[in-house]
Amino acid sequence: MDFILEPLNLVTFFPLVGVLLLLLLKNEQKKIARWVALVTALVTFGISLWVLSMFDASNPGLQFMIEEDWIQVAGWKIKYALGMDGISILLVLLTTFLTPIAILSTWKAIDEKVRDFQLFFLLLEMGMLGVFLAQDLFLFYVFWEFTLVPMYFLIGIWGGEKRMYAAIKFFLYTMAGSILMLLAILWLGIRQGTFFLPELIAKGGIPADVQFWLFLAFAAAFAIKVPMWPLHSWLPDAHVQAPTAGSVILAGVLLKMGTYGFVRFNLPLFPEAAVQLAPTMALLAVIGILYGAAVSYSQTDVKKLVAYSSVSHLGFVILGIFALNEQGIAGGILQMVNHGISTGALFLLIGFIYERRHTRDFDQFGGLWKVVPVYAVITLIVSLSSMGLPGLNGFVGEFAILLGAWGAGTAGGPLGTPLFAAFAAAGVILAAVYILFMFQKMFLGPITVEENKNIKDLNWRELLVIVPLLVFIFWIGLYPKPFFDLIGPSVSHLVEMLPTAVSTVLH
Amino acid sequence: MVDYLAILPEIALLVLAAILLLVDIRLKEEGKDTLNWIALFGLVITFVLTILLAQPGEEEVIWGGMLRHDWMAFVFRLVFIAGAAFTVVFSRGWEAIGDRGEFYGLLVLSTLGMTLMGAAGDLVMLLLAIETASIPLYIMAGFSTKDGKSAEAGFKYLLFGAMTSAVMMYGFSLLFGFGGTTDIYALADAIAAGNVPTLPLMTSIILVLVGFGFKISMFPFHFWSPDVYEGAPTPVTGFLSTASKAAGFAVLVRVMLVAFPSVTVEWQTLLAILSAITMTVGNLVALRQTNIKRMLAYSSIGHAGYILMGVAAASSLGVISVVYYIAAYLLTNLAAFGFVAIYYKQTGSDEIEDYAGFSRRSPGLAFAMLFTFLSLGGIPPLGGFFGKLLVFSAAIQADMVWLAVVGVLNAVIALYYYLTVIKFVYLRRQEGDEVPFPVAKSQSLAIIICVLGVTFLGVIMAPMFELAQKVASSFF
Amino acid sequence: MVPLSYYVALSAILFALGALGVLTRRNTIIIFMSIELMLNSANLLFVAFARSFGDVSGQIFVFFVMAVAAAEVAVGLALIVAVFRNKHTINIDEVSGLKG
Repeated sequence: MDFILEPLNLVTFFPLVGVLLLLLLKNEQKKIARWVALVTALVTFGISLWVLSMFDASNPGLQFMIEEDWIQVAGWKIKYALGMDGISILLVLLTTFLTPIAILSTWKAIDEKVRDFQLFFLLLEMGMLGVFLAQDLFLFYVFWEFTLVPMYFLIGIWGGEKRMYAAIKFFLYTMAGSILMLLAILWLGIRQGTFFLPELIAKGGIPADVQFWLFLAFAAAFAIKVPMWPLHSWLPDAHVQAPTAGSVILAGVLLKMGTYGFVRFNLPLFPEAAVQLAPTMALLAVIGILYGAAVSYSQTDVKKLVAYSSVSHLGFVILGIFALNEQGIAGGILQMVNHGISTGALFLLIGFIYERRHTRDFDQFGGLWKVVPVYAVITLIVSLSSMGLPGLNGFVGEFAILLGAWGAGTAGGPLGTPLFAAFAAAGVILAAVYILFMFQKMFLGPITVEENKNIKDLNWRELLVIVPLLVFIFWIGLYPKPFFDLIGPSVSHLVEMLPTAVSTVLH
Repeated sequence: MVDYLAILPEIALLVLAAILLLVDIRLKEEGKDTLNWIALFGLVITFVLTILLAQPGEEEVIWGGMLRHDWMAFVFRLVFIAGAAFTVVFSRGWEAIGDRGEFYGLLVLSTLGMTLMGAAGDLVMLLLAIETASIPLYIMAGFSTKDGKSAEAGFKYLLFGAMTSAVMMYGFSLLFGFGGTTDIYALADAIAAGNVPTLPLMTSIILVLVGFGFKISMFPFHFWSPDVYEGAPTPVTGFLSTASKAAGFAVLVRVMLVAFPSVTVEWQTLLAILSAITMTVGNLVALRQTNIKRMLAYSSIGHAGYILMGVAAASSLGVISVVYYIAAYLLTNLAAFGFVAIYYKQTGSDEIEDYAGFSRRSPGLAFAMLFTFLSLGGIPPLGGFFGKLLVFSAAIQADMVWLAVVGVLNAVIALYYYLTVIKFVYLRRQEGDEVPFPVAKSQSLAIIICVLGVTFLGVIMAPMFELAQKVASSFF
Repeated sequence: MVPLSYYVALSAILFALGALGVLTRRNTIIIFMSIELMLNSANLLFVAFARSFGDVSGQIFVFFVMAVAAAEVAVGLALIVAVFRNKHTINIDEVSGLKG
């Protein structure tokens, strides 16, 4: 019993309670199913807040550690190990925070097979939490792969017209990368004699050339998930076809599993390779930033635009991580959260308008400001947050990242040249262009389409869904200190492990 | 003095076969359903007796080295008997086989041959065991004589089988010439003492491998399996693809590891290459199948490739991985063919397209099918995943990272066609998919057992792992 | 006494003939006869080795091979009859309802 009541076990597996309850229901009992899912997700959020209240921000190490032997035979040392530190805590909170919001957004949108939908959704939440908390490579991989299955169904059953294509593409793309990571995990487990992450990090001693290959194998899985240019082509399909709630979770949390993986595994496990490959990763990140922005500009489907903008935003995160200094990594982690909130909010807003008009084409809109003022104002705030306006959350993360990348670009730094930071900064301007372009097309000017005249503004439920996100957009934008305080110690601990002179150069 | 407890399962199977044939003569037409129950309970009792009474203690030699009573023999016995029991369940009500006493008799006899294959320690015994297992299978594959496809399947199976076993016999005779003995365990020393040059020895090994390769449908001896799998009655196909294949692997592992230690590197390389080709061919061709039985046939060629990876590692972990993979594969593939059998009985179709909307007709069965196919595709936390993990580990440990990479790429290809089936079951619809789908109680119970077993093997690995370790310990 | 190598050579030739027959002939009955030829080449080798080693186990092996061959042929002929009833041919190329 004590084992079950361990805080992290509770957080991770509480959604299963909801799943079991849902299994008792029938698909026709839509209302109960929705409530069960919502309450489960809210309780999970509550538990995660409870964990937060106990979290010691000054401790850089893993907390609430659970460590049990799982398989201990013949040189196989697999543990059931969960732990939380400053790198994972915000992502866990983001997951538990976005899940009830996403569930609430499906109240009207999902009307078919409601029970199954909520069931997959809660399973997905469990998988994601497991990914962020697992401290054993094997366990991590199990959770990592597990998340594919519910997402596959969320896209495949409740998605748009080309949902099957998108679902299978999503599954195979991710699988192809992650199974390479599996090989690297196995190599580590067999050669180093353990799958337990802290032990592996402490042990070290992997020759640099081997590190290089292992780094690439892990990076294959994470880069596809992020997705980094040029491995991003599954993302627009998946986003466009996924139902709104699926898009919210996909953009909000699932993609972060990739960036989180880089921080959690690639940097501490293969520090030499990380330094060696940092410029390459930064280059890909910057290309992603510019490419994502450029392609976003040429979209006519709003959802696709936001999907491509994710490629651009997550490029920033990767750039921050591979600046390999405190500002960069901390900024990257905060930016993961920011992107989760702003893009999640954008997808929700797109979902709202789609439920009303059943189209996402720019040309079908225009002049909405006059019809739905509340909706327009909220969209404006979220858009500005997404493009990084000072005072809103996006700015804080991007600024820290650019600062970090600039610092890493000075002489002797891992990136070697400040050009990366410079081009990334150009990306910020491009973001302003495509986002304002979208806003202008949709909300300003005259009303061109007759049907748009009678659109209803947001109702209470929808406001309830979106307002919590707005709170965080302002909070992080105006007073980010508590967030950085949570992240900081763990990140500086991580940076100390890297064999770079940069951390000293900066101070 | 022969330890009769050690061969208790074989005796029990023989008695069961005799009972089945005798009862069949006495039974009237309408009572033939009883045979199914007798066969099932007989097999279950044999299974339980084997676990209770026939566990190996000290390594024992029976009949002057003809049989070995070790963990290898023990675990594979359980695999075969379980496979036969599930096959009996899925044969229920299957036209032209489900109510025929000979069918069950043949099935049990074939199982007997397989248990002997798993235990054989002498080339003579090996020959007899392989043929005892195969000849009933030829008949079973061609059992529906009125169905042209079935007869053709049995005929092709027999032709390929007879041919490859003739080649294998020639290999045996050469081995006898090199070693002067037919005892597999004495062969290694005799070959070492006789200073047999590598080339002739490898030639005879290859000849022997032809026979084994046929059983496990290894490239290039896999051509028979799609045709035979498609044509044979589906329950028989399930048996062929699991128990019969497992028997081939049992023999392969034992003979390779025990008899040819002097040329380990050579046969390792050979098997590694064959493994890579086998799985690539199997999976690539499976991609463009529209008939689910053919698809599963090619996929099972792919799985043979993965298991070969474990054999090629020639290590303790390698043997462990082979045993674990086979255990997981047995349950999954039996369930997979179980669905195909149940579905065919209802709808008369084996086309993947016709599975559209299945999740609406029978949510439970579709859910089990999802588990099964995800396990075949190697998604955690299911048994197939851990099996794959172990074979990859074995390859990595044996410094064959390239083979592991080939395996990994294959896993992605395989996932694609498994997802295709799931796609039809879950995401497509068709007319009339509101009609509920009746399933016999015993059959849904069998499928539940398979699915639970697969999940168990994926979540709590230790018990099976320890068993597999014991198997490995009799070789290393 | 005839040297052992003669027997080995003869059995190799028989085996090759049998294998060639299996691969080239299209009449299933003849294919079966070719398979028998292959089996008998193995038998010849067993007997020859057994004789030269002075070890009877090789000769015993031959009995088993013969018994097995007989069983295989019995089943095989039955299946050929079944196929012939369905297809009215025993030409291996024409018996190909299963394709993929």
